Amino acid sequence: MTLGGFILKNALRNKRRALLSVVSVGVSLFLFITLQVALRELTLPPEDLGSSLRIIVRNKVSLMSSLPARQLQVIEKIPGIAAVTPFTFFGGLYKGDEKFTSFAQFAVDPARVKDVIVDAKMDAAEYAAWIADRTLCIVGLDTARRYNLKRGDRMQFTGTFYPCDLDLRVAGFYHGTADDRTVFFHHRYLDEALDNPGTVGCWWALAASAEEAVLVTARINAAFANSSAEVRAETERAFQLGFISMWANIKVLIGSICTVVVFTLLLVTVSTMSMAIRERFRELAVLKALGFRRRELLGFILAESFGLSMLGAVLGAGGAWLLYRNLDIQKLANGVFLAFEVTPRMLGMAFAIAALLGILSAIAPALSVARTSVVEGLRTLD
Amino acid sequence: MPAVFTLLIESFLGITALGIVVVFLTAFLSAVPVKYNLKSVFIRWRSTVATVVGIALVVLVYVLLQSLAVGIEKSNANTGDPRNILVARKGATAESSSLVTRAQLRTLQYFEEIERNAAGDPVISADVLTLASLPRKGQGGEANVLLRGITPRGMELRPQVQLVAGRWFSPGRREIVVSRKLAGRFANFEVGDTFKTGPATLTVVGWLDGAGSAYDSECWMDADESRSVFEREMYSTFLVRPKSPEAATNLIRKIENDKRLQLRAESETGYYQKQTLTAAPIQWLAGFLAVTMSIGAVFAAMNTMYAAVGARTREIGTLRVLGFHRRNVIATFLLEGILLAMLGGALGCLISLKWNGYTTATLSVESFSETVFAFTITPTLAAQGMFFAAALGFWGTLLPAVRAARLPVISALKAL
Repeated sequence: MTLGGFILKNALRNKRRALLSVVSVGVSLFLFITLQVALRELTLPPEDLGSSLRIIVRNKVSLMSSLPARQLQVIEKIPGIAAVTPFTFFGGLYKGDEKFTSFAQFAVDPARVKDVIVDAKMDAAEYAAWIADRTLCIVGLDTARRYNLKRGDRMQFTGTFYPCDLDLRVAGFYHGTADDRTVFFHHRYLDEALDNPGTVGCWWALAASAEEAVLVTARINAAFANSSAEVRAETERAFQLGFISMWANIKVLIGSICTVVVFTLLLVTVSTMSMAIRERFRELAVLKALGFRRRELLGFILAESFGLSMLGAVLGAGGAWLLYRNLDIQKLANGVFLAFEVTPRMLGMAFAIAALLGILSAIAPALSVARTSVVEGLRTLD
Repeated sequence: MPAVFTLLIESFLGITALGIVVVFLTAFLSAVPVKYNLKSVFIRWRSTVATVVGIALVVLVYVLLQSLAVGIEKSNANTGDPRNILVARKGATAESSSLVTRAQLRTLQYFEEIERNAAGDPVISADVLTLASLPRKGQGGEANVLLRGITPRGMELRPQVQLVAGRWFSPGRREIVVSRKLAGRFANFEVGDTFKTGPATLTVVGWLDGAGSAYDSECWMDADESRSVFEREMYSTFLVRPKSPEAATNLIRKIENDKRLQLRAESETGYYQKQTLTAAPIQWLAGFLAVTMSIGAVFAAMNTMYAAVGARTREIGTLRVLGFHRRNVIATFLLEGILLAMLGGALGCLISLKWNGYTTATLSVESFSETVFAFTITPTLAAQGMFFAAALGFWGTLLPAVRAARLPVISALKAL
């Protein structure tokens, strides 16, 4: 029997225990990866080329306060601005949703918005049709797929922030942005429904170059300083991160859960491993009597525990990777999660934890084997 | 959640509970003394400790997460006076997104169902709710704070809010009273501090305390001053005190049916109890973690118990020779596993108590502002945690126990 064969035979001698150990490591690492992915998805918004170029201008008081529509003329003339559109979050409930609609609806100027969402790809004919009719909207492909929408379908929304409802028809679809879920419709439709209040929610602008984006935000802020409606302009990226920071302690919470999961896993595996070794204390003593050295015995033990925990990692982390790659997470999570991507870094972390587990759980039994004399070992009963 | 799924979970929990009860009954009726189990548990203390701590951590995570959800719900459930009626715009999902007009106020205040105070004025308050994005203490960035512009009548209608430091704001001045709990989280919220929002500079003149209600996440200022600072023509909501419970029912019907008003009325307590969107994802996370972590924990418990059975083959043989039935052997092992797990559960619950009452905050999905709440560990929650632990013990020990019972007596005795 080769050495490798000996180790393998030993590891699989108690098949049930080997299986239970591998599966409990696997399940815990699966959980670890899932939490990490969820945390990343919640705290790091999807990034694309445009998110550092695009600028969101909101009222300095808060997002809930509106801005006067007349600001458009001033913003347009600010140097470094390539395009700008009104950008009002409608926040309606899509028909059938009672409490919460997971995709956003924005009122924009259709003729201007195309130059702001530069990543979006849409059919030229559909776009032209949308501009022409103020009751039409364009829908992100993900949302269209989720609700099985076709061109010409009706989309009705009940207003929650605004005292009006929307009755729109689908002009076409777009895709290619980091988040293809949003519905865009005519700002004039909203203005008319609200009796032309002369306000917009935010402005959405595109800087001419990434280098200039920060300068442009400063210019916009300065342009409205000490006016009746002071603004806060920031890049889309900064805006999203600021939004996420409002969730406060959630990040810490999930982070500490991850730690607890890893710790529990460590504890349990270490205990199982040392159980497996203690069970064959006498055998190890025999091996010692046969002339195997301490470091060789340590090698046996280490190889076994390392192998088992690595197998668990392959099962758990690899399983998570395969599952989340092939799962339609958007449909499952009701649109709350978008990509649910397992990054190489997370896989690396999972395997590092598994390796650590393998090593740590070998230490205690290996030490006691090394310390015990052959005679003592042979004398042990169980 | 689909009904079939709920049914499945409920029947699974039912079977588990039944199993645990049967185990306890059999174990106590049979003659295998419980002392035997307790002694066996402590003889292999190393694996026992690992299992107990493992289960304790699983229970801890579950109880703590649920206590967050309970905290949010409790803060909402504590809010409001059952006699009050909250009137908001039809379709608005939160007070802050509601808009009501002065014309509606004029119509509403002459409704005869509304109580009148000593001076003969109707007890109705028109509030203005706005959000201000303000800097957190330290490096926390900015977060939205809910500012309530309120009238003297509105303050009388909310007696649970007390002033705990400084003084109330004076009408007509740009003064604000902030929640004491928010003062710990935001910069410039000490009494005497000032902060700028929009074109106005507000001076903090006092701290309020909402007695664990949703008002702990609010700052109060004069309603008309708030309308001028934030350039608001309209109010957000009305709070009304009807003359009697019957008048309340009438009033709600009258408002809902009045086509002119386009308003929605419901009891103030009812409105706050319906604010469950913020707690929902936390409950979902707790459930998800409970399921996945318990799979890992059950396997770990199984491992420990299989080893225990393996090491005690001779003992089991002896028990059988002495005349104990197979079911006694199963029961005694199950009892041991369940007790072990419940020890872990008790430990988890005890550790979780350390966080009981600790205040934390997150973004409320409804009001879109920072909402303060406390980890709240109720007896029900602790009982849930204990049941959870017992279930882990039950399922983790079932297979090893069956294996123990099926060992042939002779081979069991022969084992070294």
